[in-house]
Amino acid sequence: MEFKDYYKILDVKEDADLKEIKKSYRKLALKFHPDMNPDEGAEEKFKQVAEAYEVLKDDDKRAEYDEMKRYGSSSEQGFKAPPGWQSSGGGANHSGSSADFSDFFNSVFGGGRGQSRHAGQQHADFYKGQDLEMEVPIFLEESVSGITKNIEFMVPVFDGRQTQQTKKSLKVKIPAGVADGERIRLKGQGAPGQGAASSDKKLNGDLFLHVRLVPHPLFDVQGINLLLTVTLTPWEAALGIKLEVPTLHGKINLNIPPESRSGKKLRIKGKGLKNKTAQGDLLAIIKIDIPPVTSDEAKKLWEQLAEVEKYNPRDDWSN
Amino acid sequence: MTNITLYMPLEELCLSADISQEAIIEVVEYGIVTPVEGETLSEWVFDLESAHWIKKAIKLSQQLQIDWVATAMVIELLKSKQQLEKENSQLKARLSRLL
Repeated sequence: MEFKDYYKILDVKEDADLKEIKKSYRKLALKFHPDMNPDEGAEEKFKQVAEAYEVLKDDDKRAEYDEMKRYGSSSEQGFKAPPGWQSSGGGANHSGSSADFSDFFNSVFGGGRGQSRHAGQQHADFYKGQDLEMEVPIFLEESVSGITKNIEFMVPVFDGRQTQQTKKSLKVKIPAGVADGERIRLKGQGAPGQGAASSDKKLNGDLFLHVRLVPHPLFDVQGINLLLTVTLTPWEAALGIKLEVPTLHGKINLNIPPESRSGKKLRIKGKGLKNKTAQGDLLAIIKIDIPPVTSDEAKKLWEQLAEVEKYNPRDDWSN
Repeated sequence: MTNITLYMPLEELCLSADISQEAIIEVVEYGIVTPVEGETLSEWVFDLESAHWIKKAIKLSQQLQIDWVATAMVIELLKSKQQLEKENSQLKARLSRLL
């Protein structure tokens, strides 16, 4: 077990008063909070800072920690508590989930990783299991039709001494119409609760699935509308054309009107995605592509067009 | 097959996330989330997105030791950051198809 020097982590002296500890915690919490700092390692650093503060802000915990620090010993095998040392339980009520705390903290002050002591209970001898969250990638077609998916995930299980990761798999029906970013809750499928009432399923944590749509090779998603890029040659765009275009429900015919400019959107009603209240559309967006000039004949035709057509797309530059 | 849920009643949210009713009332009163249904407190039901923001707001308020006005502001900024990041990645994907 690695010893944690909470004073060093909070960047305060060992005789620092509560005011100094608070000040330093606030500064470091703002600096490393994962919602404010996306850098790799910031979350771990924040957890360490929060753990150090959890101990040093509390007189009983701090006294226990100081005693441990003074009389414990460090060796190559790690830190060892003083012989016969036992927590007085003075710091048994942790304000956060002990899942966020290190093995060092849990071994000194009690609590198991993956659980949080149930707040507001008269007999706090059981722990609520940790909620788990995982991303579930699904294809656009699957979000339209709904799909049954097998999901595998690791569950932290505390055996009374340390936390073991156990593999768990579940069969889940993802409902039709699920959107990117949507959350799905699997009640009681998170980390198991511990203690006297652990047989009560309510004490297990939940598993939250965070749905992520896999980018589609043809369609982009905009709310409940689908966007499809339709690439045309200049003459198709100029003269108009009837095309067969893909939708999520098979191919349909689409009339591209003459003089369709690049970026023009053609709305195909009812061929988008569907949510609980509305049906989206498919928006075909025109993109014009210039073919490579591979023959003299083609080059001459372009030159003829340039002579005949006096259109200047940069007219606004002359003002 | 495992049963799924897409909504959480107030009481269940309190139990599941180990948070007090009072804290959730604060989060709603400061406009951080709105229940999807329920006229009275005991009837409040939240969608899972709101449940996520409730938990985050309460955690942030405790971890950063900030009041509810500041928490509401941080959550609002986080929500718009998340929305802008999503729009940005959608626009980048659109751009790559058009270029």
